[in-house]
Amino acid sequence: MSDHVIGFEHVSVRFARHTALRDVSVRLEQRRIAVIGSNGSGKSTFARTLNGLIVASEGEIRVHGIDPAREPKQVRQRVGFIFSNPDTQIIMPTVAEDVAFSLRRRGLPRAEIRDRVTAALNDFGLAAEADSPVHELSSGQKQLLALCAVLIGEPGLVVADEPTAYLDAANSRRIAGFLLDRMPQQLVLITHDLRLAARCDIALRFEGGRLSDQGEPGPVIARYEEDQEQP
Amino acid sequence: MISLYRPGTSLLHRMPAGPKLVVVAGLATAISLLPANPLLLAAVLVAVAGCYLLAGTGIAEAGRQLWRLRWVLLVVSLSQVFFLPVLAVAANVIRVGAVVLVANLITLTTRTDRLIDALERALRPLRKLGVNSDRVALMLSMTITTIPVIAGFAARIREAQRARGVTVSPFAAVVPLLVMALKHADDLADALVARGAD
Amino acid sequence: MERFETRDVARIVVFAAIMAVLGLPGAVTLFGGAVPITLQSMGAMLAGAVLGPWRGATSIIVFLVLTFAGLPLLSGGRGGAGVFVGPSAGYLAGWVLGAFVVGVIVRFRGRPPVWWRTALGCLVGGMAVVYAIGVPVQAAVTHLPLGKTVLSALVFVPGDLLKVVFATIVTMALWRAYPRAFELK
Ligand SMILES: Nc1ncnc2c1ncn2[C@@H]1O[C@H](COP(=O)(O)OP(=O)(O)O)[C@@H](O)[C@H]1O
Ligand SMILES: [Mg+2]
Repeated sequence: MSDHVIGFEHVSVRFARHTALRDVSVRLEQRRIAVIGSNGSGKSTFARTLNGLIVASEGEIRVHGIDPAREPKQVRQRVGFIFSNPDTQIIMPTVAEDVAFSLRRRGLPRAEIRDRVTAALNDFGLAAEADSPVHELSSGQKQLLALCAVLIGEPGLVVADEPTAYLDAANSRRIAGFLLDRMPQQLVLITHDLRLAARCDIALRFEGGRLSDQGEPGPVIARYEEDQEQP
Repeated sequence: MISLYRPGTSLLHRMPAGPKLVVVAGLATAISLLPANPLLLAAVLVAVAGCYLLAGTGIAEAGRQLWRLRWVLLVVSLSQVFFLPVLAVAANVIRVGAVVLVANLITLTTRTDRLIDALERALRPLRKLGVNSDRVALMLSMTITTIPVIAGFAARIREAQRARGVTVSPFAAVVPLLVMALKHADDLADALVARGAD
Repeated sequence: MERFETRDVARIVVFAAIMAVLGLPGAVTLFGGAVPITLQSMGAMLAGAVLGPWRGATSIIVFLVLTFAGLPLLSGGRGGAGVFVGPSAGYLAGWVLGAFVVGVIVRFRGRPPVWWRTALGCLVGGMAVVYAIGVPVQAAVTHLPLGKTVLSALVFVPGDLLKVVFATIVTMALWRAYPRAFELK
């Protein structure tokens, strides 16, 4: 079954002056996948190859059976993406409109879109804000909105690139709780918060564009912390 | 973004945006073509006041509009008073004021999103000429979303410059503002692609 | 290909928003502004210089459509249909063609900006073209003969020349700070 499998075979990503991923091969079936590593190690590049925002220069990628390079539209229906900065991923001026934006192109009748949006906003505790301008939301609410807008599209995989980086402790807990515990979808979580990584089923570590370590989150994190403490 | 729209239920509020635009454009053209006849101009002023009553916003709103126009009207009169007889100047000032007031009836009685919808519908037949009305509507909505974000950048730059004790000139702020804004555009483009908007 | 188109949409949107923001802080106006002198007319020059003719002009159109639709985006919080029939209507329309001409001259054949072409572009597109449309419309709206309207518009020439200088400085500084912004296709 290729249903919930992410497969990389000898994948490299080269930019003009820089190689961001080097010969990455991995097969992932776990529900919660943590990605850790220093700044500039290639984590975001890895995340972006999963929905075709970045196309591999070499190697083969399969995400739930789809090749992101060949079928970018299909893979983006399958993969929901959460960015760090909630301001960059909100497109429409009001909360309800932005959630409804994810359903355009589905050919649904207006009434059904409205009902689904209302239900989703209820789920995320944003119902009272439905008609508010998005800039009046707090950062935490904005990130909830981003999550809501991604999940209403019913993706099979959610990729979150440091989704708590702009949030305070309470809001980080809320978003992380949703991603790690409440959401049924497969999750790739890029994070510097090692406590969140520890709650995943597997951890990947990138260094210098290479997949340098992987396995049970506990030991992977421990080795990462050890390396970080060295001068 | 606070629109200049005033909620209401008047005849003008209920009128569809497209026909309203046509009617008001016709009125404005008629007014600006009127000869400088004192009686006619007085009639125009009465008619404009009547329109504001019809729009349910009252004469007071017309007064507020005129007050906001005071500098425009003053400059129009100052720039003419040396060249034209006083009656002609008065006629021209009245015409300019009346035309602007009439046109603003659209704004006062039509919600911004209704006007944008009307525009999108009007553009639909142009699809064959390569005008993508969906995309136009998307750009208009996205701009409304983006204005507060860019305003936030400007505020942050002002604060940073104040914190460093740099004198805050509007021009010293423009370059960093553009850099931040254009980086934001690239992030926004990624989000558009990721959310399947292309 | 499709990525570029999306990126264009985003940059057009962001420049329209920049236009709005340039109208926000204590807009510098002459005489409180029948034809206000603001940073926004400099914004039209920058749009053409950075985004090139088509995208630059489109971003000004987007900004003006929102203004027409009732958002108070012009400096001093002005907006609505009224400003498009008032004395400054032609100058607003002039920004669109002006941004286009700035783009054509500054980005001649898709080239990167150099200071003299930028200054020339802003002078011709950002001033000459804007006046060429703005002054006749102002004359028509205010029923003042064209020749006399030209005389009354001379007041704004020094301020606009200053803005040509500023737009040139800002464009060249942006080119050094963030050349990626100037990519065409
Ligand atoms: N679009 C790009 N063009 C050129 N270099 C890039 C681009 N995106 C990322 N890089 C480079 O690739 C490396 C990995 O970046 P990234 O994946 O963002 O790292 P991380 O998310 O782990 O911090 C960095 O050195 C970065 O500068
Ligand atoms: Mg990153």
